[in-house]
Amino acid sequence: MRILIGIGNSGRNDDGLGWVFLDRIKQEAGFSADIEYRYQLQVEDAELISRAKHVIFVDSYHGVLPGGFKFEPCKVAPDSVFTSHVLPPGAILHLCRELYGKKPGADLMLIQGSSWELHSGLSPEAEIRLGRALEFFRKKLPF
Amino acid sequence: MIDPVTRVEGHGRVTVQLDEAGNVDQARFHVVEFRGFERFIQGHPYWEAPLLVQRLCGICPVSHHLAAAKAVDQIYGVDPRDLHPTATMIRRLLHYAQLFQSHALHFFYLASPDLLFGMEAPVEKRSVGAVAMEHGDLARKGIQMRQFGQELIKALAGKKIHGITAVPGGIHKTFYPEERDYFLSDNVTPSVDTMIQWSQEVVTFIKDYHDKNFMWLDSFASYPSGHLGLVGTDGALELYDGRMRAIDSRGEVTLNDVDNDSYLKYFGEGVEKWSYMKFPFLRHLGRQHGWNRVGPLARLNVCDSISTPLANAELREFKAYTNGRPNNHTMHSHWARLIEILHCAEQIRNLLNEPRLLEEVERPPVSRRPEGIGIIEAPRGTLIHHYKADEKGSITKCNLIVSTTHNNEPMNRAVRWVAKNVLDQQKAITDGMLNQVEVAIRAYDPCLSCATHAMGQMPLKLTVFDADGAVVAEHVKHPV
Ligand code: NI
Repeated sequence: MRILIGIGNSGRNDDGLGWVFLDRIKQEAGFSADIEYRYQLQVEDAELISRAKHVIFVDSYHGVLPGGFKFEPCKVAPDSVFTSHVLPPGAILHLCRELYGKKPGADLMLIQGSSWELHSGLSPEAEIRLGRALEFFRKKLPF
Repeated sequence: MIDPVTRVEGHGRVTVQLDEAGNVDQARFHVVEFRGFERFIQGHPYWEAPLLVQRLCGICPVSHHLAAAKAVDQIYGVDPRDLHPTATMIRRLLHYAQLFQSHALHFFYLASPDLLFGMEAPVEKRSVGAVAMEHGDLARKGIQMRQFGQELIKALAGKKIHGITAVPGGIHKTFYPEERDYFLSDNVTPSVDTMIQWSQEVVTFIKDYHDKNFMWLDSFASYPSGHLGLVGTDGALELYDGRMRAIDSRGEVTLNDVDNDSYLKYFGEGVEKWSYMKFPFLRHLGRQHGWNRVGPLARLNVCDSISTPLANAELREFKAYTNGRPNNHTMHSHWARLIEILHCAEQIRNLLNEPRLLEEVERPPVSRRPEGIGIIEAPRGTLIHHYKADEKGSITKCNLIVSTTHNNEPMNRAVRWVAKNVLDQQKAITDGMLNQVEVAIRAYDPCLSCATHAMGQMPLKLTVFDADGAVVAEHVKHPV
């Protein structure tokens, strides 16, 4: 199993980038991975990814990314987490290793956002960056 | 990776101000930056409210969905008692599933590091990762309890995220026998019977833990307060639909089982210059004396009994510890939360075995009303949704009082307790000391994204200032 997990909130403009990426990529020919939408990652996602061969976390990015997006390996983060409601992807990978003894391949797809207001829909800039990220990812198909 | 501090504006803050002699002059828990969800929802049709409010908070979407649904039922023209019995059962089932998984997360992943490793443990120990490494069985059990609740939510809502369970005056979809049977037997997730058994185990764990650690659990961040929660007509604990009851720190009734639609008459919302979060209080007692805790501890304090036998036996024991008087020990919130987990598991089993659960629901004939108020007991406490709609059905006014807002004053008291008892007159402020501030706040399991209606993740910052305004110590925590 391969899985894409989109993180964000489509009610807050570009915070919805992760979700919209999934909405678009799932329509591509050659895309057959599982997809999951999350407001944020949860501890049980460690169990979910333990069943996967490969996982890609897709999220919006607050800050500047040359080219508008970044695709990179996701590193395990054993102690980055304090006890809070939010877990970064690296912490989920760590939990997955510790609790289930599994090491799925893992990448991050981060797309730069610029607007975080209480509105649905992406900003025009984010829409362009999303297009670039999708174009990049299409080369990985079939996935 | 994304820096949560900058991703979404606004954050929770604890500020401690020291004087020249190093005494604590002032300690506050507050929230900076406020984004109005109330404005966002204006102009939308009322029936969209249960959907839109799910965007309010990534942690509590189900609670907001249900509170809004109860409110828009009334605009649609249906009171809770007139809702089809199956619709009420389905919504209750959803609610208990949410409470169950939320409480499980809090116990196994948020509170357990403090309990298992102690408050003075080094920072790398106080993490989910450390629990996973040293208490793997516990951590996996926590995940399975979470999954049970999440799977049940998914079965009822169609999807785990932005699904629909409730629609005005009814429910979105019928629950099928095969969906129900999944939770009655062992599958990928263990059965509801196993959930009840595990819930009993964690209650036993916390009682044993209390026996060994009662010195600090009974004293840490304890202070007298009022308590508020819903009760049934028989005075029993009620989480989905009941009347509001409040008592003071000695057990005198300050709000005598009043109906939901009278909340405006009884509650005011205080404002302080230094905080965007408001301070709800009972009007007849005033801002200084009328504030109440909400959440598991408050709910067990205000109720007379619990309708399910196993949880009720635990309630008797819990109440006996304070000789039947209100329990004002903040750290007993953890104990109370686990008794509620057990109650929710029992309720889930009861509902799954209800023959009428699987009926098709017809919405009753109705006549539209201009206003609706929905109140539920969310995991963190009393949650109030209030909407007005014009004759076209567009929302003209929305007011939300979330659990974390009710707990604003109580959390401030808890922070002040730690400031006075831990940080005062110290030569140096250590990491362990700062953590104690968080331990006190964490007992309330606050949800800052709810509290600000900011629809984003809210980090928590702790700062200690000296008399000259210089930063003596600081912590920045990931969103809570
Ligand atoms: Ni919330």
